[in-house]
Amino acid sequence: MRKLAPLTKLILTITVTIWAFIMNDNIALAGIVALLAGTAAVSGLSQKQYKAMLSLAAFAAILVAFQYAFGSGVQLSLAAGFRMLIMTYLFFLLLATTRIQDLTAALVVHCRVPYDYAFMLTASLRFIPDLLAEIKAVQEAQACRGYSNKGNIIDRIVSYLSIVQPLVLRSISRSETMAMSLELRGFGNQAGRTFAAELTLSAKDYVTVGLIAAGTVVILSR
Amino acid sequence: MLNLENICFKYSNQTVAAQDISLTIAAGEFVAIAGRNGSGKTTLTKLIMSLLKPTSGSITFRGENTKKFSPADMARYVGYVFQNPDRQIFRDTVALEVAYGPEQLGFSPAKLTLAVEKALQVTGLEAVAGAYPRALSKGQKQKVAIASALAMEPEILILDEPTSGQDSQSGSGLMELLAGLNAGGCTVLLVTHNMELLAKYASRTIIMDQGTKAYDGSTRELFSQARDIAKWGLREPATTAISRALTEYGIQVTEDPRYLAKCLVDLIGGARHA
Repeated sequence: MRKLAPLTKLILTITVTIWAFIMNDNIALAGIVALLAGTAAVSGLSQKQYKAMLSLAAFAAILVAFQYAFGSGVQLSLAAGFRMLIMTYLFFLLLATTRIQDLTAALVVHCRVPYDYAFMLTASLRFIPDLLAEIKAVQEAQACRGYSNKGNIIDRIVSYLSIVQPLVLRSISRSETMAMSLELRGFGNQAGRTFAAELTLSAKDYVTVGLIAAGTVVILSR
Repeated sequence: MLNLENICFKYSNQTVAAQDISLTIAAGEFVAIAGRNGSGKTTLTKLIMSLLKPTSGSITFRGENTKKFSPADMARYVGYVFQNPDRQIFRDTVALEVAYGPEQLGFSPAKLTLAVEKALQVTGLEAVAGAYPRALSKGQKQKVAIASALAMEPEILILDEPTSGQDSQSGSGLMELLAGLNAGGCTVLLVTHNMELLAKYASRTIIMDQGTKAYDGSTRELFSQARDIAKWGLREPATTAISRALTEYGIQVTEDPRYLAKCLVDLIGGARHA
C-alpha cells in the first residue's frame, strides 16, 4: 500500500466502496474483507493500528447482531456488517499508509480540488491527535484542582464543562495563531503553487488502476 | 512527609522516564528539580501527584501509600501548578477561577470565601479579582494558577517551570512569592531550568538525568565544588562562576550577588588607591 501513489489509493478506496454497495454476494464481500485484512497485514502497520482494526471488526459483529435481532435476515445482516467493515478498513488503510499532505497534493494536482478546500480537509484531520493530546493535558490540569469524573450523569456533564471551556478557548486562540502563521508563509498565493510530495504514477499504479477497472467491469457485467 | 521508594516508570511507548528513584521530602523544604529536557523532571512530579502511577516502587504521603489515590484525592494535600496556565483557566473572573478548586473539595461557603481571599491576597491579585483572567499578562495568569492551587490549602506546592516565558522581573516576583510561602511553612517543589533562581532560592536541589536521580543534596554544595554540571545540561550561575574564579586567585568572596558586587568594588577600589 505504501508504495502506491496517493491518487491510486484514493481511486482504490472510492471504487471498492462503490463495489461493496453494488455487490450482494456475501462470499464476495467476505473475500474483499479478507483481501483488505491481508493488505493490512503486509503493510507493516503499528500494533496499535492492528488493534484498532480488530475493534472495528468487533463493532461490525455487534452491528450484524443488532440487525439480526431487529428482524433482518441473516443474509442482509451479514452484508451490512461486511459493507461497514469494507468501508472503514478502506479509509483506515488509506489514512494509515498515506501522509495527509500527500493526500492534499493529490487532490489538488490530479483531482483539481481547490487548494483551500483540500487544505481544510487535511487541517481538520491533522488537528484530531492534537486535540486529543490537549484534552488529556486539560484533564490533568483540572484533576489537580479536584476535578473528578464521578457522580450521576448530570453531575458529570456539568463538571465536564471545566474541561470543555478551556479546550474551546485554547483551540480558538490556536487556530488564530495558525491562520497568522499560514499567511506569513504565503498561504493564499494561488499562482504557481507546487508540492513537495512525490505524486508521479509508476507502473505499479497503472497496474493497480487497471485491475480496479477490470474488477469493476466484471462486477457490472454480472 | 513525602517518601518515594525505588520508583520506576515506563511510558506506554516503552520510554523509561524514571528508574529506581528514592527520595524523601520533608515538611518545609524548598526543593528545586533540574535537568535537561526529557530527563524525567515532569514525570517525577506527575508521579507524586498521582497523575501517573509508578510501574514499580511505592510513594507514601504521611505514611499512606498513594497507589489508590486519584489526582483529585492528592489535590487536597498537593497543589500542582502547570507550565501553561491557559490549560486550566476557564471562568469569568479571577476570584471565581480561584474558587474552582475549593468548590471541588467541598469547602463550606464561609471557608471558601476566606480561602479565596487569602490566596488572592498572598499572590497580590486582589486588585484584579474581578478581571477576566484570560486577558491578563502571562505572569499574572501564572499567579492566578498559583492562587488557584493555594486556595485549596495544600501542604506541598509543586510548580512546573512557572517562570518560563516571563521577563526577569515577573520571574523574580514569582520567586519572592514562593519564598514567602515557603517561609510560612509551605513545602515547595520547583521544576526549573533557571540556574540563577535555583541558586538563589532553593536550599536543596535534585538533578534528573535520563530518568535517574543524578544529584540530590544542598544547592550550595552543588555549585561550591568544581562539579561538572554541564554533563547534566546545566550551567553554573554567573555569580557562582565569578566567586569561584576569584577564589582561585586567593580572593575569598561570598556568592550572594549583592555582597559579591560590594567585594568586587572594594577590590577594584583598593587596587586603584594602591
